[in-house]
Amino acid sequence: MKREDLKNYDGKDGRPIYFAYKGKVYDITGSRLWKNGTHVNRHHAGGDLTDFMSMAPHAEEVLQKCKVVGTLDDEVAEDITIDRMDVLRDWYRRFHPHPVTLHYPMGLYYFAAFMQLLYLIFRVPSFEHAAFYAFLGGTLTTVPAALSGLFSWWVNYQMTLTHIFRMKIIFSIVMLVFGVTGCILRFLHPQISTGTSPLSLTYSALVFLNVPALTIVAFNGGKITWPS
Amino acid sequence: MDKQRIKELEEMIQVVLLAIPREISAREFYLQAARKAFSDSSRKLFSDLAEQEKGHEAELRRILIELKTELKEVRDQ
Repeated sequence: MKREDLKNYDGKDGRPIYFAYKGKVYDITGSRLWKNGTHVNRHHAGGDLTDFMSMAPHAEEVLQKCKVVGTLDDEVAEDITIDRMDVLRDWYRRFHPHPVTLHYPMGLYYFAAFMQLLYLIFRVPSFEHAAFYAFLGGTLTTVPAALSGLFSWWVNYQMTLTHIFRMKIIFSIVMLVFGVTGCILRFLHPQISTGTSPLSLTYSALVFLNVPALTIVAFNGGKITWPS
Repeated sequence: MDKQRIKELEEMIQVVLLAIPREISAREFYLQAARKAFSDSSRKLFSDLAEQEKGHEAELRRILIELKTELKEVRDQ
């Protein structure tokens, strides 16, 4: 029996009650423990209940009394079932690309703001160059950090948009927009930091404003790692 | 639209969502321990613990689906 076919035996409207466990399909129709295709208001007929047995107050021996009516076509009986996303999650857990990549923009953007501040105080050109190259590096490394974050959001959190992820996404976009805009301005006007024109102030503001934007992203990332 | 209920559901979803990867990591930890185990009894112990973590993950995923469904219903009201 295919999984899709199994869904038809959901116990609703008088249909039979089937479920799968470790590759076998059981018929539990008529059991007083299943009402309208639902067991203890939790488990629904027509699905695979293998993973839930360890949470049950009974052992799998209770199934010895149940009638086996077939096997799942795509299923090899094993203790722990594997779904497709497990492969991607396993890859992510092995290489954890987001924690690896996110520290580059973090360090570089903070350093860029620090060097720009030093330049504005002491007017040493090499400080401004250092600030710009760090800002450029921060912008470039934001891309893999954001992409790996999206990948993690997909495989680990099913792209569920909660407050934490909403804040991370919004302020990552803000960071990228500030970063790209600042780099373009600096490329077009290499002396942009020297004056006090609105354009010069805008450039410095972009360099400095990426610090709070980045901090908000990092703070919400910390909430995932250390939830309170 | 019940804003208080929406807030509650969003907070519950966040808790469940963040708990799922922890169950997966715990399961992986026990499976590795089972692979490294020297005796059958310890291998069985760690395998059983891994299976329990899988059960927790499955239960959390079931709860997550229910919470998401309820959130959608409340928002659509």
